[in-house]
Amino acid sequence: MKTETLDLTKKPRLGESVIQALLFLAGILSIFITVAIVYVLGKEAWLFFGNPDVTFAKFFGTATWQPGIGHFGILPLATSTLVTSFIAMLVALPLGLSSALYLSEYATPKQRAILKPILEVLAGIPTVVYGYFALLFMTPLLQSIFGEAVEVYNMASAGIVMGIMILPLISSMSEDALSAVPRSLREAAYAMGATKFETSVQIVLPAALSGIGAAFIIGISRAVGETMIVAIAAGSGPNFTFNPFRAAETMTGHIARISGGDLSYNSIDYNSLFAIALMLFLLTLVLNLVSQAVVSRFREKYE
Amino acid sequence: MSKIVRSFVFMFAALSLLLAACAAPAAKPAEPAKPAGDTAAVAPTAVGNTVAATDAVVAPTTAAAPAAGATDPMYAPSAVTGDISTAGSSTVFPLSERMAQLFQQEGYAGNITVDSIGTGAGFERFCKTGETDVANASRKIKDAEVANCKALATPREPVAFRVGTDALTVVVSAENDFAKSLTKEQLGKIFTGQITKWNEVDAAYPAETILVYGPGADSGTFDYFNEAVVSLLYLKDGKPDAAAGKAALLGTKGAQFSEDDNVLVKGVEGGKYAIGYFGFAYFNENKGKLKAVAVEGVAPSETTVNDGTYPISRPLFIYSDAKIMKAKPQVAAFIKFYLDNVNANITDVGYFPAPATDMTAAMDAWNAAVSK
Repeated sequence: MKTETLDLTKKPRLGESVIQALLFLAGILSIFITVAIVYVLGKEAWLFFGNPDVTFAKFFGTATWQPGIGHFGILPLATSTLVTSFIAMLVALPLGLSSALYLSEYATPKQRAILKPILEVLAGIPTVVYGYFALLFMTPLLQSIFGEAVEVYNMASAGIVMGIMILPLISSMSEDALSAVPRSLREAAYAMGATKFETSVQIVLPAALSGIGAAFIIGISRAVGETMIVAIAAGSGPNFTFNPFRAAETMTGHIARISGGDLSYNSIDYNSLFAIALMLFLLTLVLNLVSQAVVSRFREKYE
Repeated sequence: MSKIVRSFVFMFAALSLLLAACAAPAAKPAEPAKPAGDTAAVAPTAVGNTVAATDAVVAPTTAAAPAAGATDPMYAPSAVTGDISTAGSSTVFPLSERMAQLFQQEGYAGNITVDSIGTGAGFERFCKTGETDVANASRKIKDAEVANCKALATPREPVAFRVGTDALTVVVSAENDFAKSLTKEQLGKIFTGQITKWNEVDAAYPAETILVYGPGADSGTFDYFNEAVVSLLYLKDGKPDAAAGKAALLGTKGAQFSEDDNVLVKGVEGGKYAIGYFGFAYFNENKGKLKAVAVEGVAPSETTVNDGTYPISRPLFIYSDAKIMKAKPQVAAFIKFYLDNVNANITDVGYFPAPATDMTAAMDAWNAAVSK
C-alpha cells in the first residue's frame, strides 16, 4: 500500500516572504547606518589624532581651541556644552516633572485634553525659532534683570530656552511613567489616610522613578546635541568659562559655524571637526547606556 | 517553496541593495559636494542677515538707471541665460547682492547666488574646488591661492576687477561714551588680548573688560586688519610678521569670531564695553546703535577715504577667469554690468567709489578677458 507522507508545514506565500524580507531590511538598515556613521567619524578623527601636533594630553588638558594656530584643547567647548545643558536641565526637569505630575494626578480629563496638545505644540516649534527667541527676547530680559554682566551672546539665555524646548519631552515621558503606576498603589495610599499630595510625591513618583530617570537622561542627550539654539544665541568663539552670562561656543555650535565656511579637505581644521563630533557621539552613547541601566535597575514589576 | 527559497530571497534583496549603494557613489562623486557646500553656506548667511533690524539688502528704490553707452547686445542682461555662482567676502556681499538684484531687474532670467563666507573661503571655492564663477574679495588674491587655481583640472587664471573702496571701521556700542579715538598700536593690542581692560588703554576709561568681536580667519577683513594694524606689532627682522599677527589675533581669550558681519554687529550693539571691526557698509546701516572710533584721530568718511587720510581703507575686488567668462557669457555680462553700474550704487550700499584709474583698468581687463 502506498503511504503518502502528509506535509503539514505552513504553505509559504511568495508575497508574504518578500514583505518580510523588505521589513527585515528596514530593520537592519538602521544598524547599518549607525555602523557607517561610527566608521566615518572614527576614520576622520583618527586622521586628526594621528597628526603629530595633536596629543591626548593637549586635547583633553589645555583650555584653548584654535586648530588654525595649533591649540587643540577641547575643554572650552566641552565646558560650554556642559554649562548650557546643565542650565537647560535646571529649567526643564522641575517644570517638566511638575507639569507631568499635574497632568497625571490632578488634572480633570477635560483639562488634560486641552493642556496636553498645547504642550506638544511647544515640542513642534523649530529650534531656529527658539534660537531667535533666545537672542531677541531672553537676552534683553536677562540684561534687564542682571544688568551689564550679561553679554549679548551668553550661555544662560541659550540654556534657558533649551530647557523650554526640552520641557515637553520630559513632561510627556514622565507622564507616561506616572500613568503606568497601577491604581491599586494610589488606592492603598488613600486607604491609609494619605493626602493627594503625599500619595503623588511619596508613593507614585518613586514607583515611576525608572521612567522619570530615562526621561531625564534623554533630555540631557537632547540638550547636549542641540545645535541651532546655541549657534545663534550662545556665542561664536570658544571660551573657557563657567560664568553663564558670558559668550562661549559649544561643541555643536562650533561645528555649525566652521562647516558654514569652507575648509579644505584633510586640513587640520577639517579633521578636528570630526574629533569633536566623535566626542559628542561618545557622550550621547554613554548617556544612552546609562539610561538603559537606570531603567532596568529601578524598574518595578507589578503582578 | 521552502525555507531555503525564503532565505535566498532575503540574501538576494540584501545583496542587491548593497551593490546599489556601492555603485551609486562611484557614479556621481562630484555632484554632492556643491549643493552641500551652498546650502551649508547659505544657512548661516540667511540666519545672520535677518538678525540685523535693517537688512543689508534694501530694495534699490534709489538705484540709478544702468549706464547708457556701448552696451554690446550680446552681453545685455536679457540676452544671456544660465546661472551664475559667486561667493566670498562678507564685506563685498552687500555690494554684489545689490548688483545681482539690479541685473535681474534689467531682464536677466537666470539665478545668481551670492554667498557670504569670507574672502579666504571664497577663493577656496573658486580656486581649490572650482565651484564658483566669481570670487568676491576684500583683499588681493594670495600667491598660494593663484597656485591652487593653476592646479585645477581646468586651470584658472584669476583676473582682478576693482569695484570699490572700503573704510575698515572700528566700532563700539552707541552707549560707549568714552572711546573716541584709538591709535593703531592700541587697536592692535586690544584685538590681540595684550590689553584686556578699558582703563589700560587710557586711565580715564572705566575699569571694565573689553569684549572683542571680530571676523574669523576665513575673512578678508581679518587678513587686512592683520596686515595693516596687528602685524606691525610683531616684527621679524624689522618686517611685519603676518603669521605671528594671525596667531595673536586668533588666540585672544574670550574673543568672538564670525564670518557673518551681522553677528558682529549684534554683538557690539548689545555690549557697552564691546569693540569690533568690519566693513563701512555694516556700520552705515546700523548708525543708530553703533559708533565709529576714529583711527589715529581720523574718522571714516567719504572725504577721508578719498584723500587717503583714513589709515585703514582698502580696495574691494571681484575675481573671475577669462575662460569662464568666454564659456559662460552670462558671467561676462554680469561683470560688465557690475563695472558699469557700481559707482552709481556704491555710496547707497555704504562703500566708496574706487579711483577712476582703477575703474578704467578693470574695464580694460574685462575687454582683454573676453576678446583673448
